[in-house]
Amino acid sequence: MKCQAVPDCADCHENSIRNARPECGLVGSCRVSHILPLFAVLLFCATESRGATGPETELRFEQDVRPILKAHCWHCHGEEAELKGGLDTRLVRLMMKGGDSGPAIVAGNHSDSLLYQKVASGEMPPADKKLSEAETDVLVRWLDAGAPTSRPEPEHLPPGETLMEEDRQHWSFQPVARPEIPAVRHAELVRSPVDAFLLSVLESQGLSFNVPADPATLVRRLYLDLTGLPPTPEVVERFVSSESGNAWELLVDEVLASPAYGERWGRHWLDVAGYADSDGYSEADPERKWAWKYRDYVIRSFNSDKPWNQFLTEQLAGDEMLAPPYQDLTPEQSDQLTATGFLRMAPDGTADSASEQMLARNDVMADTIRVVSTSLLGLSVGCAQCHEHRYDPVTQEDYYRLRAIFEPAYDWKNWRNPNARLVSLWSAETRTAAAAVDAELAEIAVKRTTELDSIVAETFERELTKLPASVQSLARQARETTADKRTDEQNQLIRQYPFLNVDRGSVYLYLPDRLTGFTKKWDELTEETRKKRPAEDLVMCLTEEPGKIPVTHLFSRGDFQQPRQEVAPGELTVLNTSGSSIPLDDPGLPTSGRRLAWARRLTSGDHPLLARVLVNRFWLQHFGRGLVGTPGDFGVKGERPSHPELLDWLARTFMEEGWSLKKFHRMILTSAAWRQSSVRRPEHDAIDPENRLIGRMSVRRLEAETVRDAMLAVSGQLTTQMYGEPVPVSPDDVGQIVLAIDTRDSAGRPSGKMIPLGDREFRRSIYVQVRRSMPLGVLEPFDLPTLTPNCEQRSSSTGPGQALMMLNNPFVQQNSKVIAQRVVKEAGSDTASQVQRAWQLILGKKATEAEVQQAVAFLADEIAAAEMAEEVTPQPSAPTEGAANPEAVPVEEKHSQAALSLLCHALLSSGGFLYAD
Amino acid sequence: MFHSDISHFSRRHLLAQSAFGLSGLAACWLQQSQQAAAAPPKPDLTRRAFDLKPRQSAQAPQATAMISMFMQGGPSHIDMFDPKPELTKRHLQSFTGDIKYDNAGEASSRLFGSPWRFRKYGQCEMDLSELVPHLGSVADEICLIRSMHTGVNNHGESINALNTGRQLRGRPSLGSWLSYGLGTECQDLPAFMILTDPTGLPVLGVENWQNGWLPAVYQGTVVRPQEPRILNLDATPELRGRRQEHLLNYLRQVNQQYQEQHPGELDIAARIQSYELASRMQTAAKEAMDISKESESVHKLYGIDNPVTKDYGTRCLIARRLVERGVRFVQLHTGNQTWDHHGGITTALPDVCKKTDQPAAALIQDLKQTGLLDTTLVHWGGEMGRLPVIQNEKNIGRDHNTYGFSMWLAGGGVKGGCIHGETDELGHKAVTDVVNHYDYHATLMYLFGLDASQLSFARSTGLGSLLDGQPGRVVSEILRRPPEST
Repeated sequence: MKCQAVPDCADCHENSIRNARPECGLVGSCRVSHILPLFAVLLFCATESRGATGPETELRFEQDVRPILKAHCWHCHGEEAELKGGLDTRLVRLMMKGGDSGPAIVAGNHSDSLLYQKVASGEMPPADKKLSEAETDVLVRWLDAGAPTSRPEPEHLPPGETLMEEDRQHWSFQPVARPEIPAVRHAELVRSPVDAFLLSVLESQGLSFNVPADPATLVRRLYLDLTGLPPTPEVVERFVSSESGNAWELLVDEVLASPAYGERWGRHWLDVAGYADSDGYSEADPERKWAWKYRDYVIRSFNSDKPWNQFLTEQLAGDEMLAPPYQDLTPEQSDQLTATGFLRMAPDGTADSASEQMLARNDVMADTIRVVSTSLLGLSVGCAQCHEHRYDPVTQEDYYRLRAIFEPAYDWKNWRNPNARLVSLWSAETRTAAAAVDAELAEIAVKRTTELDSIVAETFERELTKLPASVQSLARQARETTADKRTDEQNQLIRQYPFLNVDRGSVYLYLPDRLTGFTKKWDELTEETRKKRPAEDLVMCLTEEPGKIPVTHLFSRGDFQQPRQEVAPGELTVLNTSGSSIPLDDPGLPTSGRRLAWARRLTSGDHPLLARVLVNRFWLQHFGRGLVGTPGDFGVKGERPSHPELLDWLARTFMEEGWSLKKFHRMILTSAAWRQSSVRRPEHDAIDPENRLIGRMSVRRLEAETVRDAMLAVSGQLTTQMYGEPVPVSPDDVGQIVLAIDTRDSAGRPSGKMIPLGDREFRRSIYVQVRRSMPLGVLEPFDLPTLTPNCEQRSSSTGPGQALMMLNNPFVQQNSKVIAQRVVKEAGSDTASQVQRAWQLILGKKATEAEVQQAVAFLADEIAAAEMAEEVTPQPSAPTEGAANPEAVPVEEKHSQAALSLLCHALLSSGGFLYAD
Repeated sequence: MFHSDISHFSRRHLLAQSAFGLSGLAACWLQQSQQAAAAPPKPDLTRRAFDLKPRQSAQAPQATAMISMFMQGGPSHIDMFDPKPELTKRHLQSFTGDIKYDNAGEASSRLFGSPWRFRKYGQCEMDLSELVPHLGSVADEICLIRSMHTGVNNHGESINALNTGRQLRGRPSLGSWLSYGLGTECQDLPAFMILTDPTGLPVLGVENWQNGWLPAVYQGTVVRPQEPRILNLDATPELRGRRQEHLLNYLRQVNQQYQEQHPGELDIAARIQSYELASRMQTAAKEAMDISKESESVHKLYGIDNPVTKDYGTRCLIARRLVERGVRFVQLHTGNQTWDHHGGITTALPDVCKKTDQPAAALIQDLKQTGLLDTTLVHWGGEMGRLPVIQNEKNIGRDHNTYGFSMWLAGGGVKGGCIHGETDELGHKAVTDVVNHYDYHATLMYLFGLDASQLSFARSTGLGSLLDGQPGRVVSEILRRPPEST
């Protein structure tokens, strides 16, 4: 998968979510009601009930008709100050008045309504997207019913105004409620308040939770969920045989305390932030040498359970919590600055001179706004970059208000390229030390030149003596005369005696040995001195230049060459219920204070979206699906929550209990819901095939990084070293991306040189360089996301590419071999014990008797076949492995080892390894 | 070896058998394919396991395979396929009508006549420009539609409209629908294969071959633009042959047991199938990608001997080899925005035509020679055309136009030497016999013996189909056997 280019105007015309997502033909209707008609009403009682438009329900303009008109008609008939045909379709009374062709609607009679006639004939809307049959049907029924509204229509409607009361009513813009924990019939099944919310809905459908998963399955599920690594057989055994009543709670705490937790959950956030170690945007895809500091910051923050209000404020405005010029920072302050790397993650083509600079700069801002809005607001505001949002109540002005929050830091007209935005973390002491070394180096350079010059002079004098005495003084004159002033005679002399031109560059021709010694001496000294220079320590961050506050303009059609009115920073109108404002320039801060003010507003505890969006995403990682199935879109086109009260309860609890994610994990992981078996039951599937009600755990395929990391963990090769520079990636000689130092020449040709990576080859995948144009070969087939700019939700595909990788990639085979060696070491020579051990290591559980027998038979067959093959074609007597190892491996052992490796290979490729039950 | 009147279907069989021997597997497949032949004309809501076994369509198909040459970016129809004398006459005059620009900043209202000459080709006397002379040589085989319309002026949206039926993201692509509806005649290769360009992926990237909400087994498989065309196709020396076979047998058992523990998990079933397919692909895909056995004259025909046409020619030839082996749907992509000539059109357009014209025409000629053209539907087209006015006076180009543009089809039941539809006198809007993406899809599915509104999948939100309730007309004027006569 190559780095995907962003389609032009992608912001307008692509949904922000990367993955396949259901969308509904009925604009503004509740799609979930199609799935679960039985309890749609029940599920959505806390929200709108647009889905419940049965024949007995009377249609209303605001709820039922307006969304259709907004999507299909308003662009020409309402939104723009100039109305096509003079018709405004924003209000019923305006439609009754009509336009140039007379009234658009006739209440009580659809066939006389011009609106209906135009739609039915296909004349309107003129573009490709016609009204669906269902939408037309709504129009017909509503017109025939007399075109009713829910309330009197406003007297005044400013031209182009599109935000109306109904837009504010959308569920996700309402304050986060404080729902009661519901009562359930089978209270004995409830282990956590979460269970009560889920169970009450299940019970209302005559359903209940599934049986609990068996202990070994649970331990593996827990480890994979929290750490992305499988448990060791010893951990599984300890838990399975534990009789303590709170063994599960203790285990959860233990795993949460593991450093591997931050490496796993940090990765989820890095997806959303669009973390990459390269700039993307253009073919060149330049490296971002210091991006990893942000990755480390994220991992540390997860491991220390940094409260999310702080975590997010730092990422949005860490620089504004400090004072420029950001020197002599404490570790906490460095973290605050590093955190703003979040706002530097979007693709940035401005370092590549091939990019069109002005466009590239504005694209950085657009992509950043996309990252911020999908990750924190759960809204794809990008549509409003060019025009009013088609579905959500986001005006074009809103978009530029949001942009104005970030404008001072990016300042597209006074742009700083990626390198110019790096800030050094050196302390004053380090800076002094570096300056001292620099001075020393300069001095060395001077001394070196002086010595070289004296060698040159010496050489000249020596060579001069070799000339006839008569020409010596002429020759000296020729040398001392500058080239442009030489006489013909002098030039003639120089052509005859080239040594007359001897200089720093050519002196080695006369004294090769002496020069070699000279160069070596000074090179060594320089190198040694340079080593004393402290290592560079830069951070990729977002900062403002104090005093420089650019004006934000609304761009007509999103085109920066068509600036319109000035726009002040502010929140989306529909969210600004508290009347809070964002300062143009906070007098109390050296910076503008805009981002800080917005971050404080988001984390104030009464923001309708932020906490809901966050807890929904946490839920998604635990259960494989969010309570809102579209984690990056809580807008009109997004899904409605399956459990609105639960979502609110979780959001409220999360905020009130200190924004602690680890507390949230404990609550989920100790629930009965999370501990259910994943095996489907026909009675549940019949009613809820998608498992939206969570009457079982979902079987989930491991993510790309987990597949690789788990293999390394099982083989025991995994390096647990944390943090630091990423492990580099490079194409191998066939073009597959592997872990290697790129030794290609400047034209991209392989040099054949290999620089060993040592242990770094076995580091966790989160430390593998994320080069947007070079996805690692062993990660790519398992749906590694393409970060343009970020990934809201990963997809999970199944295809022959994954199968081919598992079968034939040397990485899998190498791990299988090492696992086989480990198995022999730990289980001894008994075949049945070996099988049992392999099962426990790879699949996290014990093999049944039948499975052991089957595997033992497989091994015996394989050994027999190998022996037979050897008899047919005798192997060369000195195998290469034997050469390295003086004690040659006996043939039988070799065969049994190879067979066992094959068994391990099969288990790694099997569902039991690739899925978490 | 082949009798001249051998049907294309049995030719495919024979090829499969002669290449790999009639193994037990193939025999078993033959049996399966006969059993699976009774596919229901109505949506099969009870289908719980999804595979690629061949299924018979409801109606007798005229096409059994498709090659789509997708020209992402928007080839300029008025410079290649749709001559506009009026435009030439009014060259550089102001255009006063209503026009929608994508880039209003650079838009000029001055008309720009095509700098390239048109002439008549073939017995059908089809007007084509000098940019596509090779296409001219097969004019009698192709059906040129000059009245395409999607009406959504952005690349991504219009690609989706033509490729998935709607401008929105997340829906199944055409190849997924055909694989879902018909399975594949070749159990050794994926049903749906993609040949990407060495310079990168088209706009929308991997979404161009996504399965959307159809099961994952119907996703397109990407062939890399250079060797190795498919990664991990070779077993390591230690695992080759018997050992791998043994491994796969055992893996199948272990996976089947896992599936038994998880009844109803479709993804696990798809995974088991993916290993079976992967193991067969190791030989079959390599054989299919190996063009060295093709004769020198074939190499020449496709322009593989010429550096300019080598890449696209090789991919066209591979596409023919895949279809010959029973792959259902092959899509070739040009690079990202290759045809998006907002500027510099006078040099950039001839360049890309030189790379693609000969190979595309060669494909038609070759398919015709091998008898595959009758049942292979070939498509050539992008997601839009271009405007008759100038974009960027300083470096002349043309802006997007999805209101009227051209594409062509050939073979698979489509009339040759046929021109369908017209744009207005300037080539801006389709005005006569307009074909929108719904019509295109209805026609395409009809040729495969399917009904675009009937072939559907039970989604959580109700039945989903390619047309999803939108009206799509089978464009019978371009068909050899239109619906009325069948």
